[in-house]
Amino acid sequence: MNTLLSLSNGLAAAVEAVAPSVVAVNARPRLPSTGIHWRPGIVVTADHTVRADEDITITRSDGHTTPATLAGRDPGTDLAVLRVSDADFPTAPVGDPGTLHVGHLVLAVGYGPRVSWGVVSALSGRWRTGRGAEVDQLLRLDVTLYPGFSGGPLVDAEGRVVGVNSSGLSRQLELAIPATTVSRIADELLEKGRVARGFLGVGLHAVPLPEAWSRALPTPAEIGLMVVSLQPDGPAGSAGVMLGDVLVAIDGVAVPSSDDVQRAVGARPVGSPVTATILRGGSPKEIRITLGERPARRRH
Amino acid sequence: MAMPIDAVPAEATLASGLAAIAERLIRSTVQIHAGKVGAGSGVIWQADGLIVTNAHVAREPARVALPDGRAMKGRVLAWDRASDLAAIAVDAHDLPAVVVGDSGALRVGELVVAVGHALGLPAAITAGVIHALPPRGRQTGLIRADLKLAPGNSGGPLADAEGRVIGINTMIADGLGCAVPSRMVRRFLASVPSEASSNR
Repeated sequence: MNTLLSLSNGLAAAVEAVAPSVVAVNARPRLPSTGIHWRPGIVVTADHTVRADEDITITRSDGHTTPATLAGRDPGTDLAVLRVSDADFPTAPVGDPGTLHVGHLVLAVGYGPRVSWGVVSALSGRWRTGRGAEVDQLLRLDVTLYPGFSGGPLVDAEGRVVGVNSSGLSRQLELAIPATTVSRIADELLEKGRVARGFLGVGLHAVPLPEAWSRALPTPAEIGLMVVSLQPDGPAGSAGVMLGDVLVAIDGVAVPSSDDVQRAVGARPVGSPVTATILRGGSPKEIRITLGERPARRRH
Repeated sequence: MAMPIDAVPAEATLASGLAAIAERLIRSTVQIHAGKVGAGSGVIWQADGLIVTNAHVAREPARVALPDGRAMKGRVLAWDRASDLAAIAVDAHDLPAVVVGDSGALRVGELVVAVGHALGLPAAITAGVIHALPPRGRQTGLIRADLKLAPGNSGGPLADAEGRVIGINTMIADGLGCAVPSRMVRRFLASVPSEASSNR
């Protein structure tokens, strides 16, 4: 058999390997989204497509519709987890996204099944979404995510689910959440119903510090983060942080970028205290802030 | 006599296999100018001058440009607005006809290739995969393909990984290429009055 034909057969077989575990999620008006039967009785989908908290149903590939309940949602990774009682259908063959390379052929599968194909266009290590969630791997795709594809599987050429596609993570890019992160978030949602991430309620901009300011610090730093926006009633605002303050450390650890801040507070439980070192008018000052919870995204 | 269609060699690599299919399809894809409707594409279905295209492409007087450079007057034998199919006859007996595949055997995800005189470009190729198929057992409904069609692809072939024509490209919807399945083409051709094609 020639290579073209075996590739074609391989792609069709990959679709057939995952299709029985792919469902339509009926949780918003008009257009359903896609979900994946991740573990027995557990369906993963894209959070932004689950508009309703109740009266959710899923439709299996055989056309059978069955009720589902929302176990939890994480706007940070745009993932939601549903429980289905009638789980007598195959679970997805979940693979290892660590095996992916730039240029690998991949398929995006929507309920139906409907399929688009393309390649992995870029890969990098850990990254943080715009809403502060840490994702194991940046998986950028050159694949069209058609309407209703969000929440559906990213499938490698061997028919393994390596991620969950979402058009809700970036306005410009087609991205997928790697399967390892999906499993981790699903565990947390099933256990606690949500993924709480510590939150300061500030907007920060990196600025070089004048030498005199730097010298005034217990540990000299070259870069600080100026508070350029502030939620007045947010955790930092109510602790006394003001616009124009320059944040240089959290709990004694330097924070030269907002990623460092996310790292310092994102993993902390909501309600825990942190000590922020700031410069105000050139003088160092320590402020104790009780971390709040990142507000839920407004759904419409 | 029909020109033999070479099979894609068994030892073909991905690139050479695709090139072989493209070349074969281009040989069997005509350009159709009809009245003021502009240019579309058509598929040489039979060596004796039977060309299949879209109903929205086929209007009298139809001028058919063959890939070998010949231009001919085409006679519209039949057309059906519902399936958007038309049959055109040209006065030739030696045309390289396509091999017709069975659209009923298609699988979602399999590779497909389309040829068309897209946006005035002669014989542009686009490749992709089957996005979705009409529900099983339904006599109507289009094949949807994840590839980049353009105006001018209308009436041209959609072929599988072996170069067999499994559909006639007919429109673009939500960015997807939509094609009339080859099974519908066969049914349409069976309804074409025989006296219309008796001179073939």
